[in-house]
Amino acid sequence: MSSAGDLLHVVTNDSISAGRKSFGRAIIWGSAGVLVLVAALQLAQVLGWQDLGFQTWRPTLYAYVLWAICLCWGQVLLHGEHGKRTLFVLPAALFVISLTVFPLLFGLIIAFSDWNLSSPTGRQFNGLANVHQMWADPFYWNAMLNMVWYTLAILVEYAIAFGLALALNAEIRARKFFRVAFLLPLMLSPVAVSWMIGKSMLEPRFGPIARLSRALGWDNPSFFESPWIAKLTIMLMDAWTFIPFMMIMILAGLQAIPKELNEAAKVDGANGWRAFWEVTFPMMLPVSITAILIRIIFKLKLADIVINVTSGGPGGATDTVTSFIFREYRDRSNVGYGTLLAMVYLVVIVIAMTVLMKLADRFARPRT
Amino acid sequence: MKVDLYEMMSRSRLSRRRMLQGTAAMGAMAAMPKAMGLGPAMAQDSVRAQILAIPGVGMGSPTDADWQKVGELCLAATKTNVTEGEFAGVELTFLGLNNQNLHNLLFRGFLKPWETYTGAKINWIDLAQADYNPRLQQAIATGTVDFDIVEMGAPFEGDTAGRGLLDEMPDWVKTQIEADDLVGYLQPPVGTWDGKTYRITIDGDCHTFSYRTDYFGEGAIGGAEVPKTWQQVNAVSKALVGQTDPLTGLPAHGYLDPLKGWGGFGFYFIANRATAYVKHPDDPAWLFDPDTMKPRVNNPGWVQAIQDVMDLIATEGAYPADQINADPGTTAFSQFLAGTGSMLMWWGDVGSSARTSDTSVVGDVVGFGINPGSERRYNSAAGAWEDTANEAPLMAYIGWGVYVTSRVSGDEKKRKAAWSAAAHLGGKDLSLWTAAYPSGFQPYRNSHFNYDEWEAAGYDRAFIEDYLGSNADSYNHPNAAIEPRIPGIFQYYSVAEDELSKGFAGQYASAQETADAIAAAWEKITDQIGRDSQIALYKASLGM
Repeated sequence: MSSAGDLLHVVTNDSISAGRKSFGRAIIWGSAGVLVLVAALQLAQVLGWQDLGFQTWRPTLYAYVLWAICLCWGQVLLHGEHGKRTLFVLPAALFVISLTVFPLLFGLIIAFSDWNLSSPTGRQFNGLANVHQMWADPFYWNAMLNMVWYTLAILVEYAIAFGLALALNAEIRARKFFRVAFLLPLMLSPVAVSWMIGKSMLEPRFGPIARLSRALGWDNPSFFESPWIAKLTIMLMDAWTFIPFMMIMILAGLQAIPKELNEAAKVDGANGWRAFWEVTFPMMLPVSITAILIRIIFKLKLADIVINVTSGGPGGATDTVTSFIFREYRDRSNVGYGTLLAMVYLVVIVIAMTVLMKLADRFARPRT
Repeated sequence: MKVDLYEMMSRSRLSRRRMLQGTAAMGAMAAMPKAMGLGPAMAQDSVRAQILAIPGVGMGSPTDADWQKVGELCLAATKTNVTEGEFAGVELTFLGLNNQNLHNLLFRGFLKPWETYTGAKINWIDLAQADYNPRLQQAIATGTVDFDIVEMGAPFEGDTAGRGLLDEMPDWVKTQIEADDLVGYLQPPVGTWDGKTYRITIDGDCHTFSYRTDYFGEGAIGGAEVPKTWQQVNAVSKALVGQTDPLTGLPAHGYLDPLKGWGGFGFYFIANRATAYVKHPDDPAWLFDPDTMKPRVNNPGWVQAIQDVMDLIATEGAYPADQINADPGTTAFSQFLAGTGSMLMWWGDVGSSARTSDTSVVGDVVGFGINPGSERRYNSAAGAWEDTANEAPLMAYIGWGVYVTSRVSGDEKKRKAAWSAAAHLGGKDLSLWTAAYPSGFQPYRNSHFNYDEWEAAGYDRAFIEDYLGSNADSYNHPNAAIEPRIPGIFQYYSVAEDELSKGFAGQYASAQETADAIAAAWEKITDQIGRDSQIALYKASLGM
């Protein structure tokens, strides 16, 4: 047994010969060499330098799999029992990386291509042309602006969710029933919400909500006619579906607050309002921020309700980035441009979320 | 026939007495050839009468056993070209749809006796409508066409025939399916590319005009006459503001324009307004210039069509509330059939649903006609309006066809087998059955409009004549507007919907500006797909 390094729990007496080590290194580097070579040859064919008769990219994939196997095997050859421990994680890590890195890579290649499925010339690399097109695309920026409005609506949703959570946290009758009842909208598919509410209940002539509005004195109720009312209606439907999600997270947070804190506040003479602002709300900040951030991620993916109810209209007033990409990609088979839009949106989301998390981190730090 | 139409016929017409009449008539017809000593012509009539009795109008939905029986009875045409067991050992793959449990499911039944007779075997790829376009386009784009026979809409011919992926129809098939019987607009150049025929038509499509009979006539609120032109349609729509619907007691409305997009299909509804203005009898093209692919969508004729819609938007009360959010599905099924509005353009199903749908209240007050015309037309070649009346029914979506892919071109036996199977599905007699029973397909042959056959089978003659008559008149119209069968045609429609939505919401200053935005977007698509190839394919599809 070697006498260096971490020897805790090592049970096998590995005596790794120099030959075994060099074999291990050889298969790892050898297979890596094969991978690079095959990839380079295929790349050469794609770039038109020489024709080697490759039909698909599978040879590179097979070379990658070979390299992955050799890398895992090599760990055992080189490090014995420590290598075996590595094997518990390494294949899974390689698998996950393959599933994220490769699609991202291919996605990027497509994003910088002119690829309309109907074009007889197929996919053509077109550099930054898609970016320029995006820059000048009023539909995309309109959708981006709409997303800002949709996201801002989360603040209102949060306030309502907090209120509901407080109510459900109080000692009220039929508390369990209300908890389940309030969760029901979240369990509905957004497509069902679109049809049941957007298309049926909000139907301007026969829908029950339209009838109610008429009874309340709104002559010609229409929920999707003017841009702002349409936007608001979509916000309301989306809020109705997702407020329960925030509510349940906040409720869980509320229940985790030790009762003693509120009791101590009461003893110190704080009234309900004061106790809420000084005790409950600050204690709830970390949970609230998590709930809001997750909700923002959900919101940025808003598409199904819009696609089903308004198709982005009237005049793009309710369009979301995702519903626009859906039209660009599915209805117009514009794969390259659609992918670029999705990639840019991903980058924007990643940056925005990082900034938000940094801010939230600073904001939520306990006040001392 | 579409399912709902069949159900409507079954429900509305069938009394026991009438059914017995029909059965007796059919029995008599079946007995006639022998009794009267008539030859093969009557034998064919007998086959037609026999298949129309399977399972019998109003006897419930046909089953697989019925489809097989029909397939068996219609095998005669196949037998003239193929000997028994000729295709033993041949395996074919058939890609098609499974909408409403029809299409491929029927084809299976129809082809079962064909398989038994010829010895060939068919493997099936069934796709839902939503999966169909991506599956087909990905197969084309990635060069992985894995089917020998494909059920396909005409708009995809550009993607397939245009790229040499289809096999040219042999002459014996043309004879077997009696292609001369196809209605006017389905005759070449539809189904052909560069003069070569690829398509076995199994369906037809067109937009027809539906109106409320209680709005029109002496003393009726819409005037004495049913509008025949778009000018009249707009005038009536404006005049109806403030009146009360005679049926529902709610506010009366005129023509129902869908103002919201519908995945590209919404564009047909501005197109059916425009064709009356822009489809000139001397020119088959009306969407693009065939020589340059320059869009015509911003010429004065098209702009007039867009302006007509904008005029009605600007007329308070002309449309029902929230019309800006009404797609074609809404105008037809939530508005017209529910008693809102008095005029509508749609495909065949509206006529049938008028009487079958539980939510329809207009079943007894609905009439049909062809696409409204115009008092003047725009001549694109001369660049000027002509004060001549014009009619141009829009053949919106040209219907389904069966095609054979070039995968079989190298193997003569397989090729013949594939064409024989396709021809069996597109046969004249079998098509009568698909026209009369739930199949997902509409009538598409002149022989389908022989109302005596329908009546003998037990259908209500008056309704069949009114309803199918409007289809027949549109199909055979000398100035029918046929859409370009070029790659990506729905991309053009989809982007036009987006721009129209902005125009109708008042984000562009005028109809002209809206049309210019559509034209600019179309130019981009043309450039992306490839202008030269689009020009070549457009000309090929027009038979130029």
